[in-house]
Amino acid sequence: MNRKNRTTMIGTIIAIIVLIVVVILSNVAKNKSAVQNAVSIFFTPLQNQITYIKNRITRNSEEIANISSLEQENQELKDENSKLQEQVRELEVLKSENNTLKEYLNLKNKYADYTTVPGYVIARTYSNYDKIVTINVGSDDGIEENMPVISEQGLVGMVMSVTKSTAKVQTIIDTASTVSANVTASNESMLVKGTISNTEELRASSISTESTILQGDEIVTSGLGGIYPKGILIGTVGSVVNTKNEVDRYATIKTATDFSTLSEILVITSKQ
Amino acid sequence: MKNKLKTILIILLLFIIIYFLQINFFSWFNIAGIMPNLFVLLVLFIGLFVGKSMGILFGILFGIILDALFGRAIGISAVFLAIVGFLGEIFDKNFSKDSRITIIAMSVLSTTFYEICIYLVNIFGYGASVEISTFIYNIVIENIFNVFLIIIFYSGIRKLGYYLENCFYQKEFQTRYF
Repeated sequence: MNRKNRTTMIGTIIAIIVLIVVVILSNVAKNKSAVQNAVSIFFTPLQNQITYIKNRITRNSEEIANISSLEQENQELKDENSKLQEQVRELEVLKSENNTLKEYLNLKNKYADYTTVPGYVIARTYSNYDKIVTINVGSDDGIEENMPVISEQGLVGMVMSVTKSTAKVQTIIDTASTVSANVTASNESMLVKGTISNTEELRASSISTESTILQGDEIVTSGLGGIYPKGILIGTVGSVVNTKNEVDRYATIKTATDFSTLSEILVITSKQ
Repeated sequence: MKNKLKTILIILLLFIIIYFLQINFFSWFNIAGIMPNLFVLLVLFIGLFVGKSMGILFGILFGIILDALFGRAIGISAVFLAIVGFLGEIFDKNFSKDSRITIIAMSVLSTTFYEICIYLVNIFGYGASVEISTFIYNIVIENIFNVFLIIIFYSGIRKLGYYLENCFYQKEFQTRYF
């Protein structure tokens, strides 16, 4: 291997390592124990080795004498373990099916006033700027444009386009989404918009200067605008940011729906 | 004809691979939630190695597919990806494809151009909120991610690019030393 190739190879390996480190660090940065984790990743194997050597030195000679019986016992335990693991896998499948059915049932009961069509998310956009998801129900299931979409936790968004078997949903965290909302405690109105910077928070603007909005207040749809029905939970107030100009003050809203794990949804087709 | 068909099939296969990477792999392997945009790079490299007609054609085709699957309206991504394909040919005429630095610069320019155009359409066409600082931050991270991927896969990209170029134009392989 000539020098140029070797340099290229080293450069590529360094780039791979740096990329992986950056990805890991950027995704665990929110966790305060990240440093502890990083330290433990390096030191745990070392500590294990030291403990192992220490145990080897101080091991009781009786254990060595019983090695054949231990081997037999070990084999029996391995067999038993594989059987148990198989049972656990079967139970996990049943548990997962049970949870999905329960979620659908809860969703149906929670929004019993509405006629709904259940579905689930089959694709998410690849873009860093749009927050659009595709669901597995379409016009054949009675879905039409502008129908509201909800999850067990709260509002998801609205249907923006439909094919026969799928529909695209503009989520409330999309930057082009605006929802008219109310504070449940005081019934004050505001506009809630998605932001590029955060996929878990919304930005509430047009807050009245006399508003008494507080951290933790629940925000629900106001019913204005003709798309979202009144009273569907959007989220809770995370913080209220006061600027020099009172008219510009805004609040951050923590969404009730966890969009990173969003799976089961209901499309509201009409109110009963 | 056979070689042209082979080139097209390889490009379509690359699109499918990138589609699955973008939808699945990069949804968790990302930098602070920001993913690279490999579709822009694919169209750029098609324009760069195979030519502007194919760059524009595949830009439109991939754009329509992506718009149909995830876009707000069909045609937006198609228009800007087609321009990226065209840019590939312009870059090819003015810069060397054999330099890692120029390839990186081309990808940064194309990605930035594409994302700014899409963002402007979102702002003026669909009422997206204007967040300049966050947008710049996202663009920078996205470009850094793209640059890392180009550094890692540069030799592969170059080899495949020249293979497609030779295949498409049915050039005879010539020995370097004669």
